[in-house]
Amino acid sequence: MLEIKNIQKSFGESKILKGVDIKIDKGDVVVILGPSGSGKTTLLRCINFLEKADEGLAVFDGIDINLKTASKRQIHSIRQKTAFVFQNYNLFNNKTALENVTEGLIVGRKMPKEEANELGKKALNKVGLSEKYNAYPSELSGGQQQRVGIARAVVIDPDIILFDEPTSALDPELVGEVLTVMKNIAKEGTTMLVVTHEMSFAKDVANRVIFMDEGIVIEEGSPKDIFVHPKEERTRKFLKRVLPEDFTYYI
Amino acid sequence: MEKYFDATYILQSIPMLLPFLKVTFMVACLSILFGTIIGFILAAAKLGKSKIARNLANGYITILRCTPSIVLLFLVYYGIPAIGNNLGMNLNDIDKAVFVIVTFSLQFGALMCEVIRSAYESIDKGQFEAAVSVGLSNIQAYGRIIFPQAFVVALPNFGNSLLALLQEGALAYTIGLIDIVGKANLIIASNYNAHALEIFLALSIIYWVISIAIEHFFLKLERAFSKGKQSLKAL
Amino acid sequence: MSEGLDYKFLIDTFFVALSGVPIALAITIVALMVALPLGFILALSRINRFLVLHRFAQIYVSFVRGTPIIVQIFIVYSSIPLLLDSIVTKYNFEMNVYDVNPIWYAFIVFSFNTTAILIEVFRSALNTVSKGQLEAAQSVGLTNVQAFRRIIIPQTLVVALPNICTVTVNLIKATSLGYALSLQEITLRAKVAANVGYNYVEAYIDIFLVYLILCSLVEYIFKLYEKRLIKYKAVNA
Ligand SMILES: Nc1ncnc2c1ncn2[C@@H]1O[C@H](COP(=O)(O)OP(=O)(O)O)[C@@H](O)[C@H]1O
Ligand SMILES: [Mg+2]
Repeated sequence: MLEIKNIQKSFGESKILKGVDIKIDKGDVVVILGPSGSGKTTLLRCINFLEKADEGLAVFDGIDINLKTASKRQIHSIRQKTAFVFQNYNLFNNKTALENVTEGLIVGRKMPKEEANELGKKALNKVGLSEKYNAYPSELSGGQQQRVGIARAVVIDPDIILFDEPTSALDPELVGEVLTVMKNIAKEGTTMLVVTHEMSFAKDVANRVIFMDEGIVIEEGSPKDIFVHPKEERTRKFLKRVLPEDFTYYI
Repeated sequence: MEKYFDATYILQSIPMLLPFLKVTFMVACLSILFGTIIGFILAAAKLGKSKIARNLANGYITILRCTPSIVLLFLVYYGIPAIGNNLGMNLNDIDKAVFVIVTFSLQFGALMCEVIRSAYESIDKGQFEAAVSVGLSNIQAYGRIIFPQAFVVALPNFGNSLLALLQEGALAYTIGLIDIVGKANLIIASNYNAHALEIFLALSIIYWVISIAIEHFFLKLERAFSKGKQSLKAL
Repeated sequence: MSEGLDYKFLIDTFFVALSGVPIALAITIVALMVALPLGFILALSRINRFLVLHRFAQIYVSFVRGTPIIVQIFIVYSSIPLLLDSIVTKYNFEMNVYDVNPIWYAFIVFSFNTTAILIEVFRSALNTVSKGQLEAAQSVGLTNVQAFRRIIIPQTLVVALPNICTVTVNLIKATSLGYALSLQEITLRAKVAANVGYNYVEAYIDIFLVYLILCSLVEYIFKLYEKRLIKYKAVNA
């Protein structure tokens, strides 16, 4: 459904992405692992044109889009088909939870307001925020804000949702509620590309895990392949450092 | 010359001065209008990619920051007709209010540029990114997400600039505009300079009341618009 | 007037305007010397809600911020002779109240005005220096006075410095209103020179240039000083 080919990106002198290829099928939950600074965020941002890649191709449902030279229309059409969940939520500060969720429907997709509100409320119910329709972001906890962020992404019914470390800005006790929501939408068959350090999520939910370092994909495979039989030395080192002592892989 | 102080003159002169507020306000409103347009253009130049435009805008702002209003006013008042003369136009008969409006538009533009720029920069880049990522166009993202938030941030500074404009505008009498200050000076002259103090006190009371009213108005406005603003501060 | 600029006059008058700089600077310095300490003390009274002083300061600030400085000049210029006159006649002093050098009026008006502006500057700066700083100073055994001298005031000054720079530049610019006091400062000198041949455009270009140079210089000095302070902070950190 989405294929990324040879994506490259530099900031000034330093090359951050050195030719990354990723293939995602419908219904896939792909988790990207990798040390901080390895270019994971940059990769997601390039896919959503929040950063302009220096090189690369996105094949979306068989249609080629050049990541470097895409037209405004092509960019807009990709953004309509994708959604992004940000590390620091980025909820619209001047809008309530419900308005945050319906903004993309009403303005981006010209949906009638009533219909959008209907869908928006459903989405907020799904993430457990049926009580908070009219709360402003400043009145919500971090976990609640991120759940609104997920509802905002889910509601536009995108072909794929990109998650950039959705739980790493949260206090530990709030991580669980967000992961639960993510697991639920994964179960519904949503296609997801997730950057995260939550190994349990990768293990339980992902059907493919990609390990990235220094701007390239080092290795990829099923969670079992990566966690139990990593082929590459760098992968092993990384896992050894980040996996908890009691992390065990049940099949 | 009578030299004693008589407070009844204060009360008597206020009704004589008030009708001339019309002129003061007219000049102020037009300066705000044109100045805000200039401010947006300058802010766009400062935030844009062109280095030349950025330097021009910076130069403009530095120069206006360093020029006293009265000097700018007279530069405009004498300079524009002189330039017109060289181009073969006779600009000696245009209304004095025009020079005043030109002067204070130029000045207010420089103030507004900084107000707009700092408000814009106070909005987290993520707000724009989130907007386009849910499918808004760039223009929609600015119009619906960035601008409303920047507007709230800009309100207090806009109010302060407005007060500054109102007060600097008091100098318009120096080129002969009969606004409220001009009228006060006329009254004093027709009194052979007697009771000048009382009339100036009346003038100060009028300005004071207007300033307080504007201040309160902006506080109210801020409160009305600041829904969801707490999190802006937290960012 | 169609013959363009008179360059000789332009150059000569530039130096006439320049000769008004010392007066402008004298007023600026005197006003700052009065206003900096007074403004700080009144700002403290505003924050600590000290007796009636903070009410007084509040009204004072509101008046100065709410009225044009030219009107403040008019008021001082027309009220002080009245006051002096009544004192002189009452106590039979030998003094002509109309012989007072106008620079005294300028000192009074600009100190009065700048103090009020600085109250607000210091008040907001003091508010940014957290209460925790005072508590920490007290907890290591400093007295209130010591805590202010060694901890609070230095931090407040650093925060307030950019605003003090703005206030200073505005003050220099405002001395151009000295004409209303018949003060021989930059603007009046150049203007008088222009009266002879109606060379107003040239005169105002000169005045404009003098203020531009003067104010840019002051801004530059403040910038340098700020940089030094920041370096000092970085070394300490
Ligand atoms: N806008 C930018 N300008 C310059 N350097 C950047 C920018 N964004 C990211 N980088 C650099 O790119 C590298 C990779 O960043 P990022 O993609 O955020 O990594 P990750 O998400 O894997 O931690 C980092 O070294 C970072 O400093
Ligand atoms: Mg990252």
